[in-house]
Amino acid sequence: MLRAIIDNLKGLYSLLVGLSITGRFLLSPQRTVHYPRQVVAPESLASFRGPLELVPSADDPAKTRCISCQMCVRACPDNCLKVVKGEGGKAPAVWVYDFSLCCLCAACVEACPASALRFSHKVYLTALTRDELKLDLLADLKARAAKAAGGADARPPAQPPAGLEPQARL
Amino acid sequence: MALSLAVFVQIIVAVLLVIGLMVGNAVVMVYVERKACGFIQRRPGPFEVGPRGLLQAVCDSMKLLGKQIFVPGNIDWPLHFLAPVVAFLPVLLLYLPIPFGPYLTSLQVDDGILLILAFAGLGAVSNILAGWSSNNKYGLLGAARAVAQSVAYEIPMIMALLAVIFMTGTMNLTTLVEGQGGWPWQWNIVRQPLACFIYVVCLVAETNRAPFDLPEAESELTAGFHTEYSGMGFALFFLSEYANMLLVSFVCAVFFLGGWRGPFLDGFWWTFAKAYAIMFFIVWIRWTFPRVRFDQLLNLNWKWLLPLSILNLWLTAVVVKLAN
Repeated sequence: MLRAIIDNLKGLYSLLVGLSITGRFLLSPQRTVHYPRQVVAPESLASFRGPLELVPSADDPAKTRCISCQMCVRACPDNCLKVVKGEGGKAPAVWVYDFSLCCLCAACVEACPASALRFSHKVYLTALTRDELKLDLLADLKARAAKAAGGADARPPAQPPAGLEPQARL
Repeated sequence: MALSLAVFVQIIVAVLLVIGLMVGNAVVMVYVERKACGFIQRRPGPFEVGPRGLLQAVCDSMKLLGKQIFVPGNIDWPLHFLAPVVAFLPVLLLYLPIPFGPYLTSLQVDDGILLILAFAGLGAVSNILAGWSSNNKYGLLGAARAVAQSVAYEIPMIMALLAVIFMTGTMNLTTLVEGQGGWPWQWNIVRQPLACFIYVVCLVAETNRAPFDLPEAESELTAGFHTEYSGMGFALFFLSEYANMLLVSFVCAVFFLGGWRGPFLDGFWWTFAKAYAIMFFIVWIRWTFPRVRFDQLLNLNWKWLLPLSILNLWLTAVVVKLAN
């Protein structure tokens, strides 16, 4: 009986603790970003797993590290990768990645012996048809290299809508 | 009190004002509840409709008004349409004896709290009717829970109020308020803290609010007894739920928190401020505590609240007898 009373008093105290926690949250600033008017700061997207992208080689940012060994193609559970070796040398001629099939499991990233694959941080990628999600990663790599070099024909990978300041917090 | 023409007109005006209060209260509380929920979960809540989402509740009620009333097959349809009305109508009566201010009382009744407690029981009846007539197993389970819960929690609730009535010797709500002072230490909550605690717990359970919202537990029973109601039927249940919340908050303010008496400038604003503080507390509780199991709910009532309220009542009686 006495034990039950003590337990219940402890339970009441725990209810007060819960109320104090939610009361603190009620008064503290919110963590939500109002998307069309505000966007998340790019550094907060470092852990975001967007569609795959190719890692540029050390000497030339337009060249891939890929050696067309097909390890990623075999590792992929969704069969969303297509890599065709080019003439003369190991470099691939075709590197097509169907994002509409990809489950973002990272099996290809782990399987790659040349560390040529990684996840991008493209949050704002949208498409109207499935075909638009078949991404040519070699072209994407070249575009990124051209943009880094300051080329005029650079197609930005994925930018927030124009005129928006990234939020400092988050 | 003879039912003269003046009293009749007074009651009609009071009922119209109460309907306005009920509708306004529901619209405001839906917004406050969703905003508080959002802030507690660290998100903004309704934000897009109107400035800072202020028009969200208005838009929702317009949507409810314009909605098609969808009726499932094989219902007991007289009861099905009677249930929301039975839920809504008694609430109008319940507001009559509440003294909002020194002069702002719809009807001076000597046994005001008796009237409220007697007709508050009709809420459980409407829940049974709704759950039974809907021909839906979730509705039926919700109704069964609603009955067991409201019958159980009415007892300690009445016991808690009875302790105050023993102490003050009156059932007239206006006299009750006049017996308390303006400052917090002159309120009944200081002399009857246990009764106030029991009353607040029972108040949450009686209005079917989380963590005691088992009759309409969304995750278990879709919506419990009002699963099959859409459009205005649902809106009436919704209105009466919020009106009941406000009513028990007013009763709590009158019984334990000094009603319209305040540290300065007595008036109806104190009653409203106190009642809405309790309303906010109910909302805060809802977004803090998880729902209890049904056996826990009944154990809490029969094993703790009822013995405690009897003990409190007995102690009060002894103290009152000795003091006299």
